[in-house]
Amino acid sequence: MTATDEARIGVYVCHCGFNIAATVDVEAVRDIAAGQPGVVMARDYEFMCSNAGQDLIKRDIEENGVNRVVVAACSPLMHEPTFRAAGEEAGLNPYLVHIANIREQCAWVHQNRVAATAKAESLVNGAVARVALHEPLEATYADVNPTTLVVGGGIAGIQAALDISDAGNEVYVVERQSTIGGMMARFDKTFPTLDCAACILTPKMVSADRRDNIHLVTNAEVEAVDGFVGNFTVRVREKARFVTVDCTSCGECVTVCPVTVPDPFDEYMSTRTAIHKAFPQAIPSTYTIDRQGKPPCMEACPIHQNAAGYVSLIAEGRFAEAAKLIRRQNPLPFICGRVCYSPCEDACSRTLVEEPVAIRSLKRFAMDWEREHEPEPVPEAPEHDYSEKVAVVGSGPAGLTCAFDLAKEGYKVTVFEKHDRLGGMLAVGLPTYRCPRPVVDRDIDYIKRMGVDMRTGTELGRDFTLDELTNGAPGYEYSAVFVAVGAQEGIALDIPNEDAEGVVTGIDYLRNLNLDLPQETGPRVAVVGGGNTALDAARAARREGAEVTVLYRRTRAEMPAEEDEFDDAVAEGVRFEYLVAPVEVLVTDGRVRGLECVTMELGETDGSGRPRPVPIEGSNHEREFDTVIAAISQHPDQDWSNTPAGEPTVLTFSRWGTVEVDPDSLQSTIPNVFAGGDAVLGPATVVEAMGQGRRAAEAIDKHLRGLPLDGFTSHMPSPDPRYGFEERPYAQSPEYADIEKAPRATMPKRPVDIRVTDYDEVDLGFSEEEARSEAQRCLHCGVCVECHACDDVCAPKAIDLDMEDTLTTLEVGQIMVATGFKTFDATRMTPYGYGRYPNVVTSLEFERMLNSTGPTGGKVLMANGEEPRAIGIVHCVGSRDEHFNRYCSRVCCMAALKFAHLAIERTDADVYQFYIDMRAFGKGYEEFYSRVLHEGSTVIRGKVAEIVPSLSSNGDEPHLIIRAEDTLIGRFREIPVDMAVLCSALEPQADAEEMGRVFSLSRSPDGFFLERHPKLDPVGTTTDGVYIAGCSQGPKDIPDTVAQAQASAARILALIGRGEVLIDPVRATVNEALCGGCKTCLSLCPYTAITFDEEKEVAVVNEALCKGCGTCVAACPASAITGAGFTDDQILAELTGLLAPVGTR
Amino acid sequence: MTYTYYPGCSLHATGVAYDKSTKAVFEKLGVGLQELEDWNCCGATSYTSVKKTVAYAISARNLALAEKTGHDVIAPCSACFYVLNKTKTRMTEQPELREQVNASLAEAGLEAKMTVPVRKPLEVLINDIGLDTIASLQTHSISDFRPACYYGCQIVRPYGAIDEDPENPVSMERLFEALGAECVDYPPKVRCCGGMLIATFEEVATQLCEDLVDWAVERGANCIVTVCPLCQANLDLLNLSGNGTRTKIPILYFTQLIGLALGSSPEEVGLEHGLVPVNVEAPRLVAEAGTAPATARGGAA
Repeated sequence: MTATDEARIGVYVCHCGFNIAATVDVEAVRDIAAGQPGVVMARDYEFMCSNAGQDLIKRDIEENGVNRVVVAACSPLMHEPTFRAAGEEAGLNPYLVHIANIREQCAWVHQNRVAATAKAESLVNGAVARVALHEPLEATYADVNPTTLVVGGGIAGIQAALDISDAGNEVYVVERQSTIGGMMARFDKTFPTLDCAACILTPKMVSADRRDNIHLVTNAEVEAVDGFVGNFTVRVREKARFVTVDCTSCGECVTVCPVTVPDPFDEYMSTRTAIHKAFPQAIPSTYTIDRQGKPPCMEACPIHQNAAGYVSLIAEGRFAEAAKLIRRQNPLPFICGRVCYSPCEDACSRTLVEEPVAIRSLKRFAMDWEREHEPEPVPEAPEHDYSEKVAVVGSGPAGLTCAFDLAKEGYKVTVFEKHDRLGGMLAVGLPTYRCPRPVVDRDIDYIKRMGVDMRTGTELGRDFTLDELTNGAPGYEYSAVFVAVGAQEGIALDIPNEDAEGVVTGIDYLRNLNLDLPQETGPRVAVVGGGNTALDAARAARREGAEVTVLYRRTRAEMPAEEDEFDDAVAEGVRFEYLVAPVEVLVTDGRVRGLECVTMELGETDGSGRPRPVPIEGSNHEREFDTVIAAISQHPDQDWSNTPAGEPTVLTFSRWGTVEVDPDSLQSTIPNVFAGGDAVLGPATVVEAMGQGRRAAEAIDKHLRGLPLDGFTSHMPSPDPRYGFEERPYAQSPEYADIEKAPRATMPKRPVDIRVTDYDEVDLGFSEEEARSEAQRCLHCGVCVECHACDDVCAPKAIDLDMEDTLTTLEVGQIMVATGFKTFDATRMTPYGYGRYPNVVTSLEFERMLNSTGPTGGKVLMANGEEPRAIGIVHCVGSRDEHFNRYCSRVCCMAALKFAHLAIERTDADVYQFYIDMRAFGKGYEEFYSRVLHEGSTVIRGKVAEIVPSLSSNGDEPHLIIRAEDTLIGRFREIPVDMAVLCSALEPQADAEEMGRVFSLSRSPDGFFLERHPKLDPVGTTTDGVYIAGCSQGPKDIPDTVAQAQASAARILALIGRGEVLIDPVRATVNEALCGGCKTCLSLCPYTAITFDEEKEVAVVNEALCKGCGTCVAACPASAITGAGFTDDQILAELTGLLAPVGTR
Repeated sequence: MTYTYYPGCSLHATGVAYDKSTKAVFEKLGVGLQELEDWNCCGATSYTSVKKTVAYAISARNLALAEKTGHDVIAPCSACFYVLNKTKTRMTEQPELREQVNASLAEAGLEAKMTVPVRKPLEVLINDIGLDTIASLQTHSISDFRPACYYGCQIVRPYGAIDEDPENPVSMERLFEALGAECVDYPPKVRCCGGMLIATFEEVATQLCEDLVDWAVERGANCIVTVCPLCQANLDLLNLSGNGTRTKIPILYFTQLIGLALGSSPEEVGLEHGLVPVNVEAPRLVAEAGTAPATARGGAA
């Protein structure tokens, strides 16, 4: 049959009992239809869907030549398949049967019989006009991939996986947590039979683990789903758990992990270690390391020193381990423990509570403790033995760090130092009252013991040249050079008479004192500048017995000097004057006698981000001084870079005199010369210079190993110090605002009057007790502190902190989504006092308390550790409440009765229930209700108004009062209890919306995933091949969840058994002759079914993916796309039929 | 900064201490408070049940007058605050009502455009002036006061004057803690004082007030601080009943306590209008705190 055949249409109007006939005059509809063009047969019948009704159609096709059928009945969702099948049985192409829906959108929604009849007539007329143009269509079939994806490893997911695997099919179970088991694993007993949850759940978990055809993918999430029923492609991200499958679950790691954080499995009522297993029977039993990014302190540190790690070890009193951990990363641990400007402390999350942890002082403590208690540490043998030699010029922090890293790697390193003392600025610029000489030597000695050759008194540019170093001159056979000569030349004030006797730069002043060179200090000293060098010079001058005034041209707020050092300077009697700048050195007989100064005021912000100081006109004044120390800044000299013949160097320099290098690799314009530290940065801090040394070592190693340096990135990610506590999941509990404040430990110092008389160290260091309690302030905000303690004890070597997330693509035929629920946040119910009063707990907290592996070992205990004398259980918290969720959470009534039973069993407490309606709807539930009533639980029918703390002055212990109206006796009641249990509502997961998008699931107004039909298809969804089960579909108990899981499994197995899926022919086709190649349709297709044929320059529809939604048909500007079954002609004909006047208005 | 001050009938009668202390506090803070000229009754709750349109017209007349001043309205009385805001809301939501009301106002040459915000002094102090500013202007210590902060019902609902949890507002506590007074935990802070039931069903209102006072007394409060003249009157009246069996406790306006902290005298904040003497040491200069105590004067006893 073709469309050119004359249409012979049969119209069948269904009464549907009274459903249609009560409102629509079906006979009138039949009569009108009978008069329409092409209609050869029109009938009405009481139930068209009955066999007798279907036979009417069949007979007319077979005997009366009907070749098009219109059934005016219910929604096509109900019976379109029925009538199409009937037509097909009679030899008619099923797509020549069309439904006019005169029930749902006509008879059911209207009351006026005349109008409803008219509407029905129009609908039938439209259908008749349309069906006349219908063409036969052929459905196609696709194979079904028998592998199934189950999303969510709770009881629903486990049960479905077992059922599907029983039939011999492969199943992937993707679970977000580190273990399967879901919520049920956290319960103690299950109602109404009071089975132990673990006893009935864990055998299923073990079974799922053991089956070869069930693949558990834990700690994982589905990121994307493509494809269609029978043939889905799923992208899964398995998050790194940092422990490999070699883990034997021995638990040795837990005993050494120094980190404890609140345990979400126990509703944060107990703590767990960073490396952990959720609960004893967890499946898989592999441990997991909890890491929320890197600790911010570690990220902020230029050398990525593992601060949280050693702080956590110190907190536990494991001082030797702490020192060892520090040494892993830090070549100058003693020095850094004293003078580091500690960017780690700026990044410390503890700042959000009160003040940062005193990380620098704790490092100093650990190192000093090591010196006093441990044998001299022996450097480990290098990892490799390379023949290449590397020259490091300058023995400051940059050079030493580079030498340390390269020596560790296995290179032969020689350090050249122009002074007789090693340490660069550490030796010449750092006053000994901050960092004593033996401390510097101690760090350098360790590097020497690593085999680094140190040559003092040899100066680049004087004793040898850069050419000699780089070109392998005899005695200088180096493969690479690291230039770290520092920035040791003080910058002059650039004012008249600066060359007068008694004027010295800050750096020269400190160098002279440190190296015991002649240096005069007059009784009145002016220090010009506000940086650390200025303050060092000022405090040194105090020790020389002078009266010291620091002149700074901005204010304290803009001073770059550190807080600690500023405080020490003030304590030692250094005077500070702000907004003042010298304009001329006043001189008598070539000797300084004072300064002429001007007063400044702050103006616009300048390039440094600080307000620019502007001189106030006419404010010039004279000040008397005997010595002037100019400590405004330093820059590197460039003499060393000159070649002997005086030829220009091939190195390039910035206008500040620093060496120009690639900022990532620190490689200079000469390929085997690298530079770093102050020589590149300008005057910076010790740890910044060390960071450069580390970066250079990494680049030099790469360079020498023949690897390209293009796109070099250090293994050290750029610091992101603001990735703090707030962004980390543990911020949820406890809130950092709720963390008890503990002030930062203050560093004990020598008394001021004594310390200004000598150069001995000012800071005294923490005692063991001080150090431990200070270290305990660490919040473990990144959870794992990377201390590697677990690594050291793990026998199977299963720890892998470098593990990364794995992305897997799974090909599956069908998907079951069982992602569960979350509980209502009870703090939102303010009158119940949750979060304010300690003994108001949620049902989940109470559940964990009852569990033998829970925080109280199965005992019901109040916050003070005592057993409650009375317990009030409050139903419907966040459920059946207009303010929160209107729905009933279904499980709370029975869970509350279970709580009552267990409380009566395990305590002597009186137990009260406050309920709105007792919903005991399941099998055995009513019996359970009466059992608990007989056990002596008191039930009060009424919603609780508020829970308030009682008054304690009546001689009684403090307790809670639950206030509620008892609606059965019509009285308001106030029940005193020690503990209130809030039965929190079950809510959709927080990311239900996103999950819905991933799996193409709709959600009902309450936010849960929407089933295809509430009664007849409760586990199917509007996306073919995707099923839902359990609480992600709506609140339900375990029996219903398991029933849904098994129903889903049955549906999945049915399709696997059939082996193929019918692909509806209602889909788009492109007329290639008309397609202009504009690609408009490509981006619009919600099923990504349209691709572009670059050769033919036309859009191509993938028939398997197309759902026939028609979006592209409507959008195509060239009308090149038609929807089979929905052609423009058909739709226009239907509209014409609908809008044509009918006779009986 | 200037506000239009709408005292309402209470503040010129039973709540005269609220009137005095509000003015004193705003003066100390250097914030202008200009009483609305020719204001009339807010329409209160009673007239609404007699004839709604007339009640709204009475109320809207105040709004129309206030709109002309160009300043936000401060209505210390919770009932005035509630009624004026209700009028605004209803007239905004119901154009017909607005037409009717404005037709009658037009006869007096007025029109209510519903543009002027009507606010509570507590909210203005916290949001516009700020705790830091108030604390920085403190001259006298009020650390001997242990207030129970009582908000009552109309300040939190339905037109929440302060943007916080209506079941557990904490702005008064924050305010007094910033001024160095330790507040007691006071769970019934938003319960009803009985309101006008004191006139119609006295025993019901009395029971509610007794509960409120008992909570405060048993938690160690030495005063109850209110934001509403009716709450204050109902609770203070209880101090006269009970034939001496009940513990007496001063019922203050929150502005009285702030006024003392900012250096107003007990008379300037109308302390003598209370039925019970304030039995704490007189606020001393902050700098002198710790010197010899003196007893605060004021109170009728």
